Amino acid sequence: MKNTLLSRVAPSAFALIAIGAVVAPGVAHATGVTAGTLIQNTASATYTSGAASGTVTSNTVSIKVDELLNVAVAGLTTTPATAGSGNVVLEYSITNTGNGPEAFKVTVNPAVAGNAFDATVQSIVVDNGNGIYEPGVDMVLAPGAATPLIAADGALKIFVIVSLPATATDGQTSQVRLTADAATGTGTAGTVFAGQGDGGGDAVVGSTTASDNATDTLVASLAVVALAKSALVVDPFGGSQPVPGAVVTYTLTAAVSGSGQATNLHITDIIPVGTTYQAGTLTLDASPLTDLSDTDAGMASSSGIDVNLGTVAGGTSKTVKFNVKIN
Amino acid sequence: MNKFWIATAAGLLATLVTPMAQAQAAQGAQPIELKGDVKLDKLVMENGREKHVMVAPDVVLPGDKLVFATAYRNSGASAVSNFVVTNPIPAGVMLAADGAAQADVSVDGGKSWGKLTSLTVIGTGGVKRAAQSSDVTHVRWTLPMLAPGATGTVTYRGIVR
Repeated sequence: MKNTLLSRVAPSAFALIAIGAVVAPGVAHATGVTAGTLIQNTASATYTSGAASGTVTSNTVSIKVDELLNVAVAGLTTTPATAGSGNVVLEYSITNTGNGPEAFKVTVNPAVAGNAFDATVQSIVVDNGNGIYEPGVDMVLAPGAATPLIAADGALKIFVIVSLPATATDGQTSQVRLTADAATGTGTAGTVFAGQGDGGGDAVVGSTTASDNATDTLVASLAVVALAKSALVVDPFGGSQPVPGAVVTYTLTAAVSGSGQATNLHITDIIPVGTTYQAGTLTLDASPLTDLSDTDAGMASSSGIDVNLGTVAGGTSKTVKFNVKIN
Repeated sequence: MNKFWIATAAGLLATLVTPMAQAQAAQGAQPIELKGDVKLDKLVMENGREKHVMVAPDVVLPGDKLVFATAYRNSGASAVSNFVVTNPIPAGVMLAADGAAQADVSVDGGKSWGKLTSLTVIGTGGVKRAAQSSDVTHVRWTLPMLAPGATGTVTYRGIVR
């Protein structure tokens, strides 16, 4: 009972309310508490009363954590993808930076300001988890369709298959933009989709507006083939007159330029009317080729010649020669 | 006659009150009331200026700032001493950096206590480092004495993780 004589403790000395104080930004948590989590706070107190001691527990206050919709998209093709005549695979990642599982609608736009050409989008493909593009194995996504659910803090790799348009020329670059929108919805931060949150609460758009995009770059690597033809006449009299009996040596030079390569390149020619192919005179870069269609690159007949050069890199030339006799 | 009755009444009251108070404490009846509350510290724009308002939240989002308050009252007839309010930080909440500067905190589940600046935790790789507000597991306030009828509120600020 003596205790009552002591002055009451001023509650304000212990109350730490500081309404105007700015709370320091929280430690970076990629996702935060999972949507639907209940935050429950209960305080307890112990005290001494006379010779006895007591314990008392407060009521529990409970609040539910809503779903925050956030997303981050990154282009994973850091050095421009080299595009030739075939398809090129661009890689992107979509990271769910929200706090609940969410699907994201994927759109790909090859028309980016500053592009020298706009790539042709062939398909959008969702990685099956091994990080490698596997045609026929990985799931193809229709433009604007949603990905499977991505767990909070989870990431999904997306492959975008593109090809060059006919207008692209060697060395030109182009960007392709991939955009991911939260399937629940997007909008300015704070936009509420009532009742659509994971765990039964609302879904609320976070600071990313629940939409993000990133670009990958591809560079056209093409080859240009120039073919030049010349003729050298040697007549039977030691001169160079195109008279009957004179031998004409045709020289066909294919010059390949550009950073890319020419594939499946053939040099073909017909034997001019009034002349006869001279058997065994076909050469490629001064090496003789048989006239038969066999394992070497060339074949020749009375109607014409065909030399298969296969794949020729830019910056190289190939020379084919053959002889005909003027009838 | 009158004086006798008053004196007797006073004597009776005095003898009655003391055994009751002792009985209350002995039986564990609670002279102390605790009432928990939570408010969301919301930043709103009002006339082009930012303003903090405290609202009762139904739901919260990661990053939201909360103020947890526990109101206490000694509703008993006698004072209590060694009054200690302990509040575990709920899962999903971390103490704000300035959340409980004047209170004792624990970073080990309530085993040891002190001011945050004096505490350390074992960080990644087994390296001891200074404790941060996000390491706090419990916060507590100690009042040496609570007179009958005394009321007050202890609060801490938290952030939804």
